[in-house]
Amino acid sequence: MTTHKYLTTIIAALLIVFSGCSKDFLEIDPQGQLTEEQALKDPNAANQMVGGVYNTLYFGGFGQTTVGFLFECLNDMASDDTDKGSSPSDFSDGGEIDNFSFTPNNSVFDNVWRGHYSAISRANRAIDILNQSTFEENIKNKLLGEVRFLRGMYYFNLVRCFGGVPKLIRVPDPSEGNNDEFQTRASKDEIYQVIIDDLQFAVDNLPLKGETEVGRATKGAAQSYLAKVYMYQKNWQKVLELTSAVINSGKYDLVKDYSLIFRENAVNNDGGNNNIESIFEVQTGINISEDAVSPLYSNGQGPRSKGGWDDLGFGLNTPSADLASAYEPDDKRRAASIIFINPTVVHKDGGDPSNIGTVLWDGFRIPTQDSVENERYNYKAYHSFLKESAPVSNNKDKKPKNIRLMRYAEVLLMYAEAQANLGNTGEAEAKLTLVRNRVGLETVPGSVENIWKERRVELAMEQDRFFDLVRQGRAGTILRARGKGFVDGRNEVFPIPQAQRDLSGNRLEQNDGY
Amino acid sequence: MRKLFTSLSGWILVFFLIIGTAFAQQNITVRGRVTDAADGEALIGVSIKIKGTTQGTSTDADGAFTISAPSNGTLVISYIGYENQETAINNQTVLNVKLKTSAESLEEVVVVGYGTQRKSDITGSVARVKGEDIASQPVLSATQAIQGKVAGVQIISSGDPNSLPIVRVRGTGTMKGGANPLYVVDGIITEDIRNINNADIVSMDILKDASATAIYGMRAANGVLLITTKKGKTGKMTIAYDANAGVKEASHLVNMAGANQYAGYLNEANIYYGSGDELITAAQLQSGVNTDWYDAILKKGFQQNHNLSLSGGTDKVTYFMSAGYLSDEGIIETNNFNRFTLRSNNEYNIAKWLKLSSLLSYSRFNNRAVDLGAFNVAYRAAPYIPAKADGKYGNTSLSNNVGNPLLSLEKVNNSGLGNRVQGSFAFDVKPVSWLSLRSSFGADLDFYRNTNYGYQFDNVGPNSVFITDGGNQLRDKSDLTVTSNNATKWVWDNTATFSKTFDKHSLNFLVGITAEEYKFNSLDGKRVNVPADKDQWYLGAGSTTGATNNNTGDKWARNSYISRLNYSYDNRYLLTATFRADGTSRFPKENRWGYFPSVGLGWNIAEEDFMKGQQTFTTLKLRGSWGKVGNDQINTNVYFPIAAINLPYFYNGEEYSGIAFDQLPDKNVKWETTEEFDMGLDFGFFNNRLSGEFDYYKKTTTDALIDIRIPAILGDADALYTTNAASFTNKGAEFVLNWTDKINKDWSYNIGGNIAYNKNRITGLNGGQALLDGNVGGNQGNVTKSDNGQAIGSFFIYEADGIFQNDAEIAASAQKDAKPGDLRYKDLGGPQGVPDGVINEYDRTFAGSYQPKYTFGINGSVTYKAFDLNFSTFGTSGGKIYNGKKAARTDQRDNLEADVVNNRWTPDRPNTDVPRATLGQLPASTYFLEKGDFFRINNLTVGYTLPNAVLSRFKIEKFRIYIAAQNLATITGYSGFTPELTSASPLNAGIESSIYPTTRTFSFGVNIGL
Repeated sequence: MTTHKYLTTIIAALLIVFSGCSKDFLEIDPQGQLTEEQALKDPNAANQMVGGVYNTLYFGGFGQTTVGFLFECLNDMASDDTDKGSSPSDFSDGGEIDNFSFTPNNSVFDNVWRGHYSAISRANRAIDILNQSTFEENIKNKLLGEVRFLRGMYYFNLVRCFGGVPKLIRVPDPSEGNNDEFQTRASKDEIYQVIIDDLQFAVDNLPLKGETEVGRATKGAAQSYLAKVYMYQKNWQKVLELTSAVINSGKYDLVKDYSLIFRENAVNNDGGNNNIESIFEVQTGINISEDAVSPLYSNGQGPRSKGGWDDLGFGLNTPSADLASAYEPDDKRRAASIIFINPTVVHKDGGDPSNIGTVLWDGFRIPTQDSVENERYNYKAYHSFLKESAPVSNNKDKKPKNIRLMRYAEVLLMYAEAQANLGNTGEAEAKLTLVRNRVGLETVPGSVENIWKERRVELAMEQDRFFDLVRQGRAGTILRARGKGFVDGRNEVFPIPQAQRDLSGNRLEQNDGY
Repeated sequence: MRKLFTSLSGWILVFFLIIGTAFAQQNITVRGRVTDAADGEALIGVSIKIKGTTQGTSTDADGAFTISAPSNGTLVISYIGYENQETAINNQTVLNVKLKTSAESLEEVVVVGYGTQRKSDITGSVARVKGEDIASQPVLSATQAIQGKVAGVQIISSGDPNSLPIVRVRGTGTMKGGANPLYVVDGIITEDIRNINNADIVSMDILKDASATAIYGMRAANGVLLITTKKGKTGKMTIAYDANAGVKEASHLVNMAGANQYAGYLNEANIYYGSGDELITAAQLQSGVNTDWYDAILKKGFQQNHNLSLSGGTDKVTYFMSAGYLSDEGIIETNNFNRFTLRSNNEYNIAKWLKLSSLLSYSRFNNRAVDLGAFNVAYRAAPYIPAKADGKYGNTSLSNNVGNPLLSLEKVNNSGLGNRVQGSFAFDVKPVSWLSLRSSFGADLDFYRNTNYGYQFDNVGPNSVFITDGGNQLRDKSDLTVTSNNATKWVWDNTATFSKTFDKHSLNFLVGITAEEYKFNSLDGKRVNVPADKDQWYLGAGSTTGATNNNTGDKWARNSYISRLNYSYDNRYLLTATFRADGTSRFPKENRWGYFPSVGLGWNIAEEDFMKGQQTFTTLKLRGSWGKVGNDQINTNVYFPIAAINLPYFYNGEEYSGIAFDQLPDKNVKWETTEEFDMGLDFGFFNNRLSGEFDYYKKTTTDALIDIRIPAILGDADALYTTNAASFTNKGAEFVLNWTDKINKDWSYNIGGNIAYNKNRITGLNGGQALLDGNVGGNQGNVTKSDNGQAIGSFFIYEADGIFQNDAEIAASAQKDAKPGDLRYKDLGGPQGVPDGVINEYDRTFAGSYQPKYTFGINGSVTYKAFDLNFSTFGTSGGKIYNGKKAARTDQRDNLEADVVNNRWTPDRPNTDVPRATLGQLPASTYFLEKGDFFRINNLTVGYTLPNAVLSRFKIEKFRIYIAAQNLATITGYSGFTPELTSASPLNAGIESSIYPTTRTFSFGVNIGL
């Protein structure tokens, strides 16, 4: 018994000592979550990170955004293209933008700011990893070119929205995050220099359309955006050079039927997603998780019910009466750009059976005006559930609508404007005519004024008009004439979001007048 | 399962064998009876031992015992609360013994971490609730039963049958971390005690200050609740059956407006202040429907609880076995819960120096849960729409954009099945008298499966479920989500205790090592178009199109070193010092080890020479303690930079999965630290008939975890950075008083009361950002703001200042657009910090928090002959409640409370505090803030025990019947369903929107002992 006793005691004592476990016991990696460290072990990580940067093109909905729904609202509503739409009380932040009563607290500014910087941070991180990668030089530069194209495009959006903004072109160490370098605004010129450097790198390193997968950035896309940047700087020689390169590449042409530009599928080989006219567009698609779309882009702008029918959307960002009247009488673009709600009311006791509301291109019938909230809706954002792809769960917010960001028509108009400014009105008129003839309009002289007019109707509700008016220097005159409270010297840029100023400890200086 | 039963029956066989051998010895047989020296009452369960041996027995219900002992031996008779007595046998065969009450009834033993201590030696703040006080209430979890019984412990309960009440020990101990205390069941650390049958509990010990809790180190900052389950006692086998059954209902309802009141209000609002037409037409009211939606979704629920236990033992083996069944239908339609538990606790005394124990419990529950959203919707749904008639539902979404809550409940079956096995095996070796070694291995296996089925239903056409077609409530495809979770935890404790008394010095020193590992695995899948037949509710029966699945997990480990020194000199001067080093995988390497010390000092003044001979004080003890404890309840591995994966983009029309690194984690994240200081005085007068405690404490928490918003330029996806940046304090005092008296043989009673005060203040927010939370919906924004100098979760809203009576008042105000009858708000600030004549965000002000200033309870019992009466009460005061369901009026056609309609301002009724009829949502203001004070009779029980004379004929030892009322009455000024609001986050506590109301239960029960 005594032996047992001591044996047991020794065992117990040993247990106590050994239960102080080995060092590895406390080394546990996250379960089912890929750490950055492990992710980088994949030789393809850099490529995947580039995919992650393209993914930022989907930022949208009512949250942080790059080129999605809120960004579209910001540009279109601030301009004379659209009204806020929907019911009067809906989306008051949009209403403030529409009538220029916004303050720096308006959530749209913060969401645009956050979306763009999130995207830029992803780009910076991808560039960092790409530079360390062991890819062949030309592959590496192509991927770098794609990322820098997107970063340049995003900075171009930011500088047009806010003027000078913080310049982040590398990954800051968390300890540096609070430095003045990142927490204060760089000048507008510095940001333009970043944009030009990025886009020029992309021009130099990206392949032509057709030599890379559809959807990736191409040399043509980089040239077109760089041309647009130079246009904002009035460097007409550069604009001409770059647009000429795009035109002479032979990769692009106009879609014959303007209304087919914004469809998912081509009709008789004309139009559809990634058509001959498309230079850069957001690629959406159908997947189980329904996250390969720009949320609400289509549904946010879809026709809204006043009751009684299963409607198509929230009815925001509606084409203004002014836009509707901006088209020349025979312009096919008017009917292709705007859904006009048939105003006829069917009486309860029957009435004219021909008053059946509005029938869309896919056969969908919108009821008469008494059941619809607004009079006009954006046709360019319409996505058909009847004739085009539907999300797995039929979630209306997740309609896979490719957003056309740069079209050949715009390149032609930039070319024309450059030529007009350089005194070659004949050349200007020739390209302007291409754009006009397609939609059934006659030739007009290639004057800057005519080109500007054309830009409006050609690019209506394509995230361009407000910035274009500011560029043209007539935003105040035109917008005040439309009854908006635009103040010169103040409203050319939007306010820096107050939330971000607070987080910077007010080191982000506010724009004049806000 | 089968294995479990096999092993259980094996154990039972062993018991019977051993019981048999115990009676087989040759000696003279001694019989006798043990009674209370004071009143001659029989004492039950008194231990009778033969001196110098471990043989013994215990007395039965009549205080009688029989023991076989050597004729020249001596019997040692001992009983808790009484003085030990030794009686020589001297060949007598009948020995009647009278025991005297112990002068020190504080000689109670309390459970502390990794051991027990005499209450008189404790230097920390520890409270104990006895098992019978817990089991006597018809509630699921033990914590709910201790509500009001322990000073400084606020229990917030819910009427949901499967809920775990919220426990706050000495105030709110965290902001963003887990706020729940640590539960330790027979040494196994756990977060959830709903698997424990209350009838199996011997005691619950609540450790409140650092001297007591620091032995649990990194997890002790929210307090520690130790639960000890029953063990067998040496002596004859006892069988107990306890049962009660009752009916429960909502203890308080809110009276909503009826159809005509509703229409009148809305139409008045629209005609006088809106577009001018009637919102609700006479035609709509024609049918005369007047639905009380709470009537429609609430029911009276049946509740029953049965427990059967068997216990006993010999010198070698003691055993306790129990089976329990509890069912509770809840009070919301379709809700249903039941739980079955089994327990087997055995101890084996293999040799004098070696003891083995196995504690094993199994629990299984079925719960059909309800979506509490229905409770909020019932508040809003229009009363002129019928709930259900002839099998078809009223279509509420046609009236005010809410689904029919009854349909929402009936068309979803969300059922969970949980199986949990918890147990430990331990052995204690005592090689020499001053040393004992213990090794204990515990495991906790939790398997849970949830099946959530949504029935398909149409809202138009021949199969429409609605009386009137249309609207937006429909489910065009049935769907099924199956979730399967399993959690495994093991804990291995190894301790050595040195214990020595020499002269007047008494020393006890514990050292130990513990290791613990937790693994969790969750698998879920979803499919649509699964048939409505219950037997088809498997994913395989659904459509593969659109099927989704997911699998996630968690794993952490912990390794700790513990030590505790108890020293006392002459029972007068006491010292407790503890130290725990906690190593955890949950934090980065640099912060992997945390060290938690504590020191406690005690002075038993009553033991001093100068106190000898005085009769007033039986107990007088001064205590003081200091220590540091931690809180590590944050998500595992928050410090790891995690890649976002499966970020799609389409190249060539094909999906490509990208990745991104866009979460900035704090790579130095660590536990929260709370430094605690406690001063206490324990006193007992007149032989401890009057006893009490007073405590003052101050807790300072630093490195509290909060989310800091960071600039977007840093590229964090949610722009939030979780880091240890805040600090706050809880200061308070507790006072407990108990009076126990036995007037004569027939009459005895006791009454106890406790009250606690706590003040919570945020003292630092590194980075200066206040935390906003508590979004109630609509335009009200966040209604709480946790800022410097305020309590955590303080309400931050406009201050309502009466009602405008005329245009002159409006012209003089900051609300130029107001109309007579509107609420006036105080213009308290502006962009420049001074009132600016505009009511906007700058005018919000702090208006108190849900945290009560005072919590209190009064408990007592009276026994008269065979009758007994017990009551317990609980109350809080000083907390505020935001009536979120009233405030979140997002649709202009939402219903209103009858009081709001009846008392609204009109030109003819200017003297009211309810504003005019309005369709819009009012801004967040003190108009929606109410006092949360309440006082409630938690339990009132009247019992009758059949006299022994009657029972002995049936060979029954105990037979008691009782009736009990749970939550009999609540006194509160709060107008909502319940002032008890369970919110998981301290940052948004005290907003009533979708709650499970507190229930009232009337039940009948029996206690039978054999």
